Order: sequence, then structure tokens, then C-alpha cells
Amino acid sequence: MRRLFLIAVPYIWLLALFLVPFAIVLKIALSDIALAIPPYTPTLDLSEGWAGIRAFLSGLDFENFVFLTTDDLYWRAYLSSLKIAAVATVITLLIGYPIAYAMARAAPEWRPTLLMLVILPFWTSFLIRVYSWMGILSSEGVLNQFLMALGLIDTPLQILSTNTAVYIGIVYTYLPFMILPIYATLEKMDDSLLEAAEDLGCSRLEAFWLVTIPLSKGGIIAGCFLVFIPTIGEFVIPSLLGGSDTLMIGKVLWEEFFSNRDWPVASAVAIILLMILIVPIVLFQRNEQKAREAEG
Amino acid sequence: MRRFSWFNATSLTLGFTFLYLPMILLVIYSFNASKLVTVWAGFSTRWYGELFADQEFLDAAWVTIRVAVFSSTIATVLGTMAATVMVRAGRFAGRTLFSGMIYAPLVMPEVITGLSLLLLFIGIGLDRGIFTIVLAHTTFSMCYVSVVVSSRLATFDRALEEAALDLGCSHFQAFRLVTLPIIAPAVISGWLLAFTLSLDDLVIASFTTGPSATTLPIKIFSAVRLGVSPQINALSTLMIAIVTVGVITASLISKRAAVAQARDEQAAARATA
Amino acid sequence: MSQTVFAPWENPEEEPLIRFRNVTKRFGDFTAIDDLTLDIYTREFFALLGPSGCGKTTMMRMLAGFEAPSDGTILLSGQDIAPIPPNRRAVNMMFQSYALFPHLSVWENIAFGLKRESQDREAIAARVEEMLRLTRLTKFAKRKPHQISGGQRQRVALARSLAKAPKLLLLDEPLGALDKKLREQTQFELMDIQEKTGTTFVIVTHDQEEAMTVASRVAVMDEGKLIQVATPDVIYEAPSSVYVADFIGDVNIVEGRGTREGERIRLDWAEGQPPIWGTPRGALSTDRAVYFAIRPEKVSISKEKPADRRNMLEGEVVDIAYLGNISTYHVQLANGQMMKAQTANTRRLANRDITWEDRVWLSFTETAGILLEH
Repeated sequence: MRRLFLIAVPYIWLLALFLVPFAIVLKIALSDIALAIPPYTPTLDLSEGWAGIRAFLSGLDFENFVFLTTDDLYWRAYLSSLKIAAVATVITLLIGYPIAYAMARAAPEWRPTLLMLVILPFWTSFLIRVYSWMGILSSEGVLNQFLMALGLIDTPLQILSTNTAVYIGIVYTYLPFMILPIYATLEKMDDSLLEAAEDLGCSRLEAFWLVTIPLSKGGIIAGCFLVFIPTIGEFVIPSLLGGSDTLMIGKVLWEEFFSNRDWPVASAVAIILLMILIVPIVLFQRNEQKAREAEG
Repeated sequence: MRRFSWFNATSLTLGFTFLYLPMILLVIYSFNASKLVTVWAGFSTRWYGELFADQEFLDAAWVTIRVAVFSSTIATVLGTMAATVMVRAGRFAGRTLFSGMIYAPLVMPEVITGLSLLLLFIGIGLDRGIFTIVLAHTTFSMCYVSVVVSSRLATFDRALEEAALDLGCSHFQAFRLVTLPIIAPAVISGWLLAFTLSLDDLVIASFTTGPSATTLPIKIFSAVRLGVSPQINALSTLMIAIVTVGVITASLISKRAAVAQARDEQAAARATA
Repeated sequence: MSQTVFAPWENPEEEPLIRFRNVTKRFGDFTAIDDLTLDIYTREFFALLGPSGCGKTTMMRMLAGFEAPSDGTILLSGQDIAPIPPNRRAVNMMFQSYALFPHLSVWENIAFGLKRESQDREAIAARVEEMLRLTRLTKFAKRKPHQISGGQRQRVALARSLAKAPKLLLLDEPLGALDKKLREQTQFELMDIQEKTGTTFVIVTHDQEEAMTVASRVAVMDEGKLIQVATPDVIYEAPSSVYVADFIGDVNIVEGRGTREGERIRLDWAEGQPPIWGTPRGALSTDRAVYFAIRPEKVSISKEKPADRRNMLEGEVVDIAYLGNISTYHVQLANGQMMKAQTANTRRLANRDITWEDRVWLSFTETAGILLEH
């Protein structure tokens, strides 16, 4: 009885507010557009029994998915999201790794403070952190003022509302996600391994390449997925920092829904976005599983 | 002790400058007297005054706080239950689906979560407002709470609960008197996480709210879409200040507890039986 | 001086406190307890001894109520305990990890069980004080578990489980976390407390010395079955099987063919070696493979051939293990068989005459060793 109650309450909550809504998205993605609100036609009327279910099923089709293939906006948005996410992940890794490495090399009494400095932005509003770059990157912003004062440029650079700004925004907001898992693996690493490598004739650079990097592989992979997966569906960063030509699927979905009010297409976009995400999510889970098993 | 090279020092300096400079600039410019956010015209607290005079911001803040308190509290209860099920319940029909539903919201893009919940609320004819945002926030933050709490429960010595039962507790008493006090730090950090997630959320709230309720992130978003504004700088500064004070206090408290415990254990090691 | 020996198991009139009747416990395909029947009497200090995975912990958990038998019944004071949940049983348990509540003080830990059944603050306080005195913890009442030493924690766990004055106290490896010195000292404390409180103790241990020291009776277990249940001296002197003989202490085992000759058994065990004479344990079917078991300390070692021993074997010293108080000689017989002989080191090292590669004689009486079927 007690056990049943314990299972049932969260179970029913998640069924009602996670799985059912998801089924609705799937259903609407397979529906026709109609100009009423809600703008989709087939509704399942169970009072009509089998006939109702048959009518419901016959009303479903893949028209919206076919539509997505005809308009190259969607393809370009998907590809562009993948590309932006991939490039941003690599940049984040290149910036995050040295920071994580330096943290792990720092004196032990400093590490908790450094760790807290990395975690602190986690707790700060995402929106505010993205917003803070608007004031820096705008044409009369701090960065341009600084560069012009140095005499490096004469006319302000257009950075805000470009893909560059989007990359900066992603790297900035997701950097802690990259640093933390890498730091976690590096921190556990035994210093004597490097000494052993040097003793066996490696230069420090070779020791880093042959020992440190392979041993931190788990952290690197985890960090990359933690940046890559949420970036693909990102909405806030492209809409605040990107320009009208910045194509990201999260932004397209939002506009499809709020501006065009085309719910079936928005739902179809969501379904495909999810299907794209499944591969990295499964890979990520497998990596985590392996890491857990390795630990014991 | 390995050498701490200039390279490491440089990476740390540049890295933390990159992480903190934008926020520091934001704070500085919130005290700018000029309306032109990019031109420094002297120190002023004018924008804070205007912020507190703006009823819309105050209303949005009040909505946000109510949503965050309710959703994080319900999420903590549900998430703790879900964690107990995950760690303790053993096998039951639909366990795979259950753990799938716990982990999926963590990686689900917010736009999809928001869209699906909105379609549900419309489908069942629920009036959108604070209540629907609370439902939405509870659903995704309970998953975060359950991850935090279940990692604590996984290392919890079950013998402690058995000892409580052995000494005459009912299952509920054992949970209330033994398990809960011991896992309390994880439950509290789960609550704090749920609370901040709710405070921060723009996308899901935008989908699930109605005309009656505007949260602070929605308000900020619609304001900053038009460009940088000094009022938002002031608001951001306040939010950054609250979080900073909160996080530093929490870490100092836990550090003091850890130091006290280490000292006690040393004293115990010296004490002879 | 007519003190009666405590041996309720020899009295057919005595009603056992606990009766296991044909108890079987299965976890999936794995049978942890296999059709086990056992009686334990009031005021006994009963030890369940065996290697890890032998089912001893499962037996204890069934008594505490954390596992239910798959088959069979367990009676406590004549009553089937299967339907009684752990929190209603007059049985308390001392956990291997001690399971002290880290958020409660020593005082509150001991009072925990008392508070569940009574509201009377004064009665609780009095009982806690009594327990603190019994376990010499009065000074530490206000401390948290992490503020006291390992030995003190062990005593808190004991005090907490005794506070409710259970009919039966279960102790799961109670001394496993202590170092050797402290463990020996605590064994005597446990016996003392058991005697003072008159509680029936059932202890689970894998440490044979511990079981032999504290217990009134020892049950040797293996793979879910009882191998032998007897007093420590019987277990040591008259093990019922090679398994028990080998598990408890050090032993020499010689396999051969036994023939009954009057009171004794003659063991023919190798070409060219004289037969070994021994005493059978119970009825021993002859003319089949039997095992002769003898403890090393019952084997004498000398350089000269002893005059009047029934059993004499000649061999060569290949190894000497010097343990301070005793020395063990590893002797190889002509056919390759190894035998161990132990002598007390009553003389200084320099005065002893046996050394490596010496030819020596091993000798023992007819009653020193026993013959076992397997």
C-alpha cells in the first residue's frame, strides 16, 4: 500500500504532465492545419467508439512532415543548428580545457574557491548572462569603444546580431558545463603518473598528450555532450544575440508557434528536433554508464 | 607539488575574466547616470529608483516568486518520492518508463517541453496563468530534485532505516526521524535548484502562461529585445547580488560544518576508550 | 562446589526460545538457507559461524524481521513470528555498521527505541542512564557518533539495542570494525554484559576465535546448511566433519582406508608407512575412504625415536614458523605427505635443538586424533 502510493503519485504526475503532452504534440504534428483556435482539426472523440478512433486515425497524415521537406527553411535551420552547436562545442572545449587543467593544478586549498567561482554563474539567471553581452557587443558597446580607444579600428564592428555573437553567447553560458566534468576527471588524476611518464623519457608536452589527455577523455566527452545537446534547441541566445539571418531550430519553432500560429508545423518541427537529439542523448547516456561502471 | 606554470596562471586569469567581466560591467553600468547605457555620465542610483517605481516589474517579481516557491516546494516533495522509488522500490511494472520520464525532461529542449504542455492545457481547457506555470515548472524541476536526492540516497546506509524499524518505528516514522534528517542537505539543495530553475525560466513560462500572469524573465525578455536598458541593468544587478550572497553564505555554512566535523573526528581519534 | 553447568540443550524438558523448523530461504534461484532446523535456548550466547555467503546473515535477518522465510516456520517463545513486522518484535539487532543515527547524540540514540513505546520521560531517562553506566559511556552522552572513537561507537550500538530489554539480541559481526587488541578486550565485555542482563544473544561472525571465545554453543554453517552445532570444545576436539575440522583452527588431514580393530580404527594410508591408530567419532563405516584429523599441538616432535607411542612417523623438517610463544614445524614424510607439529616455546631459541633439514620423529597417542567420514 505504502509502496504503491509512493510509486503512483510521481508516476501519475509525470504521465499526465510529461507523456500525455508529448503524445499530443505527436498527434498535432500529424494533423491538418485549420484556422480556428486551437488550430488543428482531428480531435479524438471517444464517445463515438471505434468509428471515432477510425475517423481520428484517418485524419492523421504526414502532410506536415512533407511540408517541412518542401520548404528549405527547415532543413537549413536544422543543419545550421547542428553546425552552430558543433562549432560552439569545439570552441568551448578549447577554452574550457586549459581552465579546468589549471584549476586541477592549483594548490589544493585554492580549489574549492575556484570551483565555486565556476559554479556561481550556474545559479545566476541565464537570461541575464546572455543579456550582459548585448551591452558589450553592440556597435556603441564596451568592446567597440575599447577597440576604438586603442585605435585598432575606426568604425564600430558589427558583432551583435551576427553568428559571432551567438557563438560568444553559447561559449559564455555553457563554459561551466564543459569545465566541471573535465576538472572532475583531472582532479582525480594521480600526479605520479606524469612523473612516471617524464621518468620514462617523455617531454612535459608528450606526457600531457600521452597521459593527461587520454585520462581526461571521459570528462571531455561528457562536457562536449553537456554543451552540444542543449545548444541545438537553444532559443534565448540566437534571439537576443543573433541576427535575422541566424537560423536555429529553437527560434524557428518559437516563431512558427507564436508568430505564424501554425501549431501542426511547430509540432512537426519539435518531433524532428527530438529525433535529431536522440542520437547524442543515447551516446551521452552510454558514456555516463561506462564512466559509472569504471568507477565501480 | 608540481610547478604552477605561467600558462596555468594565464588560463585561470583569462578564463575567470571572461566569466565575470560581462556581469561586472553590467553591475557598473547599472549605476550610470546617463540613459545612454554605453556612455558613462557619473554615479547614480536613479535606475534603481525607477525600477522600484515600476508597478509592472514589481507585479512580475511577485508572480515569479510565488511560482518559484510553489513549484519548487511541490517539486521537492514529488522529486524526493521519485528518488525513493528509483533507489528503493526495486522492480515494478513500468519502471523503465518511469526512469525514462525522470531523465528525459533533463535533456528535453525547453521549447518542446513548453509547447507540449501548452497543447495539453489548451486541450483540457485549463485557464492559463500562475497555476499552469506552477504545473509546468514542477514537472521539470521535480526531475532535477530527484536526480540530486537519489544520488544522496544511493550512498545512504540502509542499515540506519532497518535500525529504526528494529527499534520500533513504523516505516513513515523511520523516514521522518532518520532518513529525512540525514538526507536533508540534498533535499534542501534540490529545493534551491528547483527554485532557481523556476526563477530563471523564460521559455517554458512563455508557453504556459496566459495574459493574467507575466513572470520576471518574460518581462525582462520583452524589454531587452528592444535593446539594452538601464532599468534591466539595475534589476540584473539586484538578482546577481542576491544569488552571490546566497551561494557564498551556503558554501561558508557547509564549509564550517565540514571543518567542525573534521575537528570532532580528530578529537575522537585522540580520545581513548 | 556443586555449580550446575549451563547446558539447557541437554535438558529435554527445556522449552527453546527460538525454533527454526525446516526453514528455507530463496532469493530468486539462489537458496540462502536450505531446510534448516535449529533450537536456541534462553540465556544462550549462540554463535553462527561460517564463511561469507554461508547464510548466517540471512538467518539473523529472518529473526529480526527483515526477511521472511520462503518455507518453514520460525517460532519465538512458541509463537510463529512470520506475521510480526520488525518494529513489533521483541528482538533487537546490533548492526555490523552499528547504524548509529549520525544526527542524534549518544543519549538520543540510546533513547530512540524507548521513545517509540513510551511517553514517560523519566522512565526513559532512567533507562538511558542505566545503559550508559552499563557500557561506561556516561561521559559521552552528549556527543554525536562522529565525535567518539570506534570502540565507543560499538558500545553505543550495544546500549541502544539493549535499551528496550529485548528477549533476544542479534549481533551482526559486532566486533568486525575493531582492531585486534580492542576486539579481544571487547569480547569479554560482551560476555560480561550478556551475563549481567540475562539476554539471549545470537552473534553472527566469520571469526572462529571470536565464536569460540564468547559462545555457549557454536553453529558452523556452509552453503545454507548447519554442519555442526555444539559447544566450542566439542567443535574443536570432536569436529563432525573434515569441513569443520579444517574451518576451526589448524589441522593435519590424512586420507586412507579404515579398519575397525576393537575400540580403535587402523588407518592404512600409504605404501611403506606404518598405519595410524585413531579413535572413531560415533559409528564409522569401515572399509572405505576415511580421514584422520589431528591438531598440530597434539603432535610431538623429537630427534630421537620415542619409546612407547602407538603412532610414530619419520620425516624431515622443511620449514619452521616461529610465532613467539609457539613454533610450528612443517615436516615432510617419506611419501611426500606434509604434517605440522606445534610446540610451546618454553625454552630460549638458542637452546632448542631441532632445525631445518633435521630428521625427526612425529608421535601421538591413539586418542589424540579422530577419524571422520568426510
